[in-house]
Amino acid sequence: MSAIAIGQKPDHAHTAGSHADSPAAYAEHVRRSRLGMWLFFASESFLFLGLLVARFYLWRGDAGEIVRPALDQQIGLIVTAVLLLSSYFMNRSEVAIAHGDRRNFMSGLLITALLGTIFLVGVVVFEWGLFPSLVEGHLKPTDGVFGAVVFGMTGMHALHVLSGVVLILNIWWLGRKGHFSAERHWGVEAVAIYWHYVDLVWIFLYPAIYLIGHAYGAH
Amino acid sequence: MNEPTRAKRTTGNFYSQGIVVAIALAVLTAVEYYVALTIDWTSILMLLALIKAVLVVNYFMHIKSVWTEEESH
Repeated sequence: MSAIAIGQKPDHAHTAGSHADSPAAYAEHVRRSRLGMWLFFASESFLFLGLLVARFYLWRGDAGEIVRPALDQQIGLIVTAVLLLSSYFMNRSEVAIAHGDRRNFMSGLLITALLGTIFLVGVVVFEWGLFPSLVEGHLKPTDGVFGAVVFGMTGMHALHVLSGVVLILNIWWLGRKGHFSAERHWGVEAVAIYWHYVDLVWIFLYPAIYLIGHAYGAH
Repeated sequence: MNEPTRAKRTTGNFYSQGIVVAIALAVLTAVEYYVALTIDWTSILMLLALIKAVLVVNYFMHIKSVWTEEESH
């Protein structure tokens, strides 16, 4: 996340004579930071690719066919819809600051953070069953290859969602203090593309966990 | 000239792209769900996921901005 940390400073650094004050220098800084973010995404994708390979290698039926655990389809669809909707509001927030619309910028960030939190609650409470007194989960991490891989995939993704929500709230807090403008908002852009990356990962995890293959043990 | 009003009107035009992409993603997700519950065709599900990924990478993550100078919002 160093690209974000580096990216935030010039968004509110307006010291006369500072290196980042020059529009050309700032544009170059953003260009390099963007490349850094995409390299970070490339390295991260190996982690999720490994989990996907484990899923398709391990989740096999008696005849070697691709199977999946019998999870609650409604929960999978709802959390997916919530995450896709959050990506829309993150995009809206980014577009807003790029065009000087601070009201939509700030509200978009809060709605995105809220939807991200709803996604986390959906996975942790309803899918994992972290609070069995409220909702019984469908699997436990110790339930063989299904439990291990489902918790590995959703756990790693939930960690990214959590970090994304923290970053969005950080950007919101800085925005409240007057940081970022239509000309200088790399910090916002970096957090936005990070959030969309989290959504992108789920676009592949959702069918892999919930949709592809026959539900094992189901009739 | 009223600058904030002009800025807001211009921004409204840019929001429409996000709305179109969000609707496309929603429709593709619904199709994905329907395909999984009816014909259960793995290659179709992977193709749908790939189309959704292309939309997100292209329109939300602005991948083109990595190698182009202009803003892609």
